[in-house]
Amino acid sequence: MKSLTPSPKQSHLLIVEDEPAIRAALRKYFHGFGYEVDCASELEEAEALITTIHYDLVIADLRLTWSFAVEGLEILRFIRQHSRETQVIVLSAHTGAEIQESAEALGAAAFISKPAPLPVIAEVVARLLEGHPA
Amino acid sequence: MSSLLQEILNAGGINVFYQPIFEVVEGKPSLFAIEALSRGPAGTNAARADVLFEYVRRKGKEVEVDRACVQAILSSTYIVARQASLTINVHASTVERDDLFTQYLVEVCHYFRVPLSNLILEIVEQQKYSDERRFFRNLDLIRSAGVRIALDDVGLGYSNYRMLIEIRPEFYKIDRYFITHCKERDNARAAIQSILLLADRLRGRVIAEGIESADDLDTVTALGIQLVQGFHLAEPRPVTSLIEFNHCRAPGSRV
Repeated sequence: MKSLTPSPKQSHLLIVEDEPAIRAALRKYFHGFGYEVDCASELEEAEALITTIHYDLVIADLRLTWSFAVEGLEILRFIRQHSRETQVIVLSAHTGAEIQESAEALGAAAFISKPAPLPVIAEVVARLLEGHPA
Repeated sequence: MSSLLQEILNAGGINVFYQPIFEVVEGKPSLFAIEALSRGPAGTNAARADVLFEYVRRKGKEVEVDRACVQAILSSTYIVARQASLTINVHASTVERDDLFTQYLVEVCHYFRVPLSNLILEIVEQQKYSDERRFFRNLDLIRSAGVRIALDDVGLGYSNYRMLIEIRPEFYKIDRYFITHCKERDNARAAIQSILLLADRLRGRVIAEGIESADDLDTVTALGIQLVQGFHLAEPRPVTSLIEFNHCRAPGSRV
């Protein structure tokens, strides 16, 4: 696997995650690599950001706001409607094939099971932003 | 309640900036009104106005946040608002859904001793009304209290000709798309002229926002627009610098 290198241009990431500690860790980690990072803790906040700001990549937790995977998939639908070129990585504690298939059918570029080490997520982010498959 | 919404609605959650609207007569600008611009809490995504209001609409909390904005605006600027026209943005959905909004405005203005005739309510339309009759009934109540009405983003979306003639605002705020393009494009100028003609027939006045250069100003004033706003004339600023606007006030102007 290729090692993580900073993106040639400053990429703008959105992290959608309802757990404050995970959100803070992801923000700090990616910010440290030079990415511009915004975070949202709920669906409406993420939608408001996606409507007004262009993101190169969104990392979305499927189990947002405790409502199973529904809101995570909702974000995927929303991103596909509003910003087709934005890449999406789905994080989920659900390992069922059905959820993963639904996410991929809605255009998720990668599906990562939680918990995942930050370097693993970072590798996928870097590969996608460089135009490679996850 | 979500934490961001709670932060917005907490005391001090709305930060208010102000941007003047000038009246240009014979090439000389004088202060006509001050627009209050609300922002969410610093350090949150809602610190950006566009994100704040998109979020609020998605949460369906326009009424609560618009009321909080009115409170924050008047509590920070009541001294100026006693002497000058003050423009406050309100969602059309708030006018529609909040049957007690006029009463709220009256009470807040009374508390801060701000004349209702100094208020201009700038209606921002983002979605189709679900109950037009209720919207117009509440709009009549606002007007009957002495508050003047401005319509934002005229020319786009739901600020269309039908709404213009039904709302008959005192002020038509042309969307900045037309201002941005009117220097180079005849058709943008034609659209502005048609709005000017309509406003004149309906006894309203046109405001051009988004004036970012001397060229913009010359172009819109040549078209006959007298009320102008934009970074070229004055940037949004915090309430502490409102006093600077006073030197712009023309003798005998209504503000």
